[in-house]
Amino acid sequence: MIYPEKIKAKKSDKIIKILMSSSFVIVFVLWLINKLTTPTMPWAALANAGIVYTWVVVIYSVKKNINIAGHVLLQTIAISILMFYIDYMLGMKGWAINIAIPIIIMVANLTMLVLTIVSYKKYMKYAIYQLIIVLFSMLPVIFVTEHMVQDKTLSIIAIGISVLNFIICLILSAKDVKETIIRKFHF
Amino acid sequence: MKKKSENARLHWRKLDNSAKIFPISTGKKYSTVFRLSAVLKEKVEPKVLEEAVKQALEKYPFFKVRMKSGFFWYYLEENQKSPKIEEEEDYPCQYIDSRRNHNYLFKVTYFESKVNIDIFHSLTDGNSGTTFFKEIIYTYLELMHPEVLDDEERKIRKLECDYDIEDSYMKNYDKKAKSNASGKKAYVLRGTKIPLGAISAIHEIIDLEDLKKESKKQGATITQYLTAVLMYSIYQENYVKAKGKRPIKICIPVNLKKYFTSKTLSNFFSYITVEAQMKKDKLDTFEKMLDFVKKDFRQKLTEEEIVKTMSTNVKIGNNPLIRPIPLFIKKAIVRLSYIEIRKYTTITFSNIGRIGIIGKYKDYIDYFLMLIAPEPVEKVKCSSCTFENKMVFTFTSILQDNRIEKRFYEFLKEKGMKIEIESNGVLDDISRENKSQKE
Repeated sequence: MIYPEKIKAKKSDKIIKILMSSSFVIVFVLWLINKLTTPTMPWAALANAGIVYTWVVVIYSVKKNINIAGHVLLQTIAISILMFYIDYMLGMKGWAINIAIPIIIMVANLTMLVLTIVSYKKYMKYAIYQLIIVLFSMLPVIFVTEHMVQDKTLSIIAIGISVLNFIICLILSAKDVKETIIRKFHF
Repeated sequence: MKKKSENARLHWRKLDNSAKIFPISTGKKYSTVFRLSAVLKEKVEPKVLEEAVKQALEKYPFFKVRMKSGFFWYYLEENQKSPKIEEEEDYPCQYIDSRRNHNYLFKVTYFESKVNIDIFHSLTDGNSGTTFFKEIIYTYLELMHPEVLDDEERKIRKLECDYDIEDSYMKNYDKKAKSNASGKKAYVLRGTKIPLGAISAIHEIIDLEDLKKESKKQGATITQYLTAVLMYSIYQENYVKAKGKRPIKICIPVNLKKYFTSKTLSNFFSYITVEAQMKKDKLDTFEKMLDFVKKDFRQKLTEEEIVKTMSTNVKIGNNPLIRPIPLFIKKAIVRLSYIEIRKYTTITFSNIGRIGIIGKYKDYIDYFLMLIAPEPVEKVKCSSCTFENKMVFTFTSILQDNRIEKRFYEFLKEKGMKIEIESNGVLDDISRENKSQKE
């Protein structure tokens, strides 16, 4: 006999599929209850956005190799989109771009800065995520220049922290950044 | 002096021209994995095997890599972890999930007296895969039997480790060459798929002397003869019953190192496609099919024709309009079109030939196996390899119907060849029949 008799069934994928199907049912049921009971108040959309956010995080965590900078990037973008969506659904009061997104960007940049200082030997692993976070962090520049925010203070602080983070990272690991760019962008 | 980061010190390399397509198109259903197995004459010791793999990797750091994604292409980066060695508990040639395998692009498993290595095609081809696998087996046997396999033999063998990592496609392709490949879609094998993603593996262990004698009698090489038997089996058991109209196209991978000077361990293979229009060419008997296969091989298995096919493929990967497309867009395009691309082949038959093992090491090995992953379109794939007087022809299939395998077996048996069957039991009626005949 050259093969085992019993082949192990892959359970983990099945569990994810079952949970995902259950989520679809919940999303539909919430939407239906909302439509039938309180159609003027879009609470189901907010709850469903939370479910989508949870799945984005779960799938990313399951699929990707654990790289903390990747998680920082994902959380930065996902929470920003979620905040903007909630603000939009609640009548676009502007708190998302005035307060929430600049704070998220500040936290993300400070996290990356700490990561870089604490373990700069691993910086190359983080470099590409760092670059994307810096690019994303330029959003408040648009908020300010396009006069989309009433109070510019948080946006300006966020821009300042992003630029500072970028400069410090460049000083610490310029060669690594160059090496990463060569690897990642070869064609 | 400023310290370089851990990752900056890691070596990296681009994928070779042929390897570029595999990670873009691959998934659970299209694993593009092949397996090599060695059936030993003694039970495998897992700890010793683990040590053997570690030592083989030190000798061949080419394989000590993981795959990373860039913005335009994937690339390979040095892997600092140790590979995992596990007992076999899954179907052969499954998609290699790097998360469960310390990011390696190969997976070594064992079962009873069998050692397997499943290799993702992006890493290397069957030829170089065999070189690495042989190193694992040699080292394993040396660790198990140091008293028998003395220093002299080992010294001789160590001299064999001479290779490089160049992309031999880029070095040897002809910019002006154009392929004459037909644009016709192929006959696709019909039948119900085995449920739950199972893969059937049926090994037909043929007496090499008998096979040589028969193919010589027919004036054919072993590969030509087996290709014709395969075509005949498909024709009788699938094509006629499904009233097929499209040509039966059999893809035969070709080792380019036989045609060009290359020491690379990267992929360096091309293929020829035997295309048989069954009705138009009036191919209804085995003899006619064999004549057709011999003629087609003569026309297509020439350096000039092979360079044309290889060059066409290199030019696609090298196209200045394709290269700058971001990886995620390439992936989406290739995945959407891959099912259509696969419809140009009925079946693949890869013969890696003789696996040469030196001296006393041979005494510990019964035979070798080679398997290729079947796919949703190419539902059956065939492969073969030879060790001593045993040629093992393997069918890997996702079809419930195993009449092609049966017909192939019966045909060779009728010709008087000694042949045995081994299988993974997914479709085991051939084995049962064989056993009852023995009794």
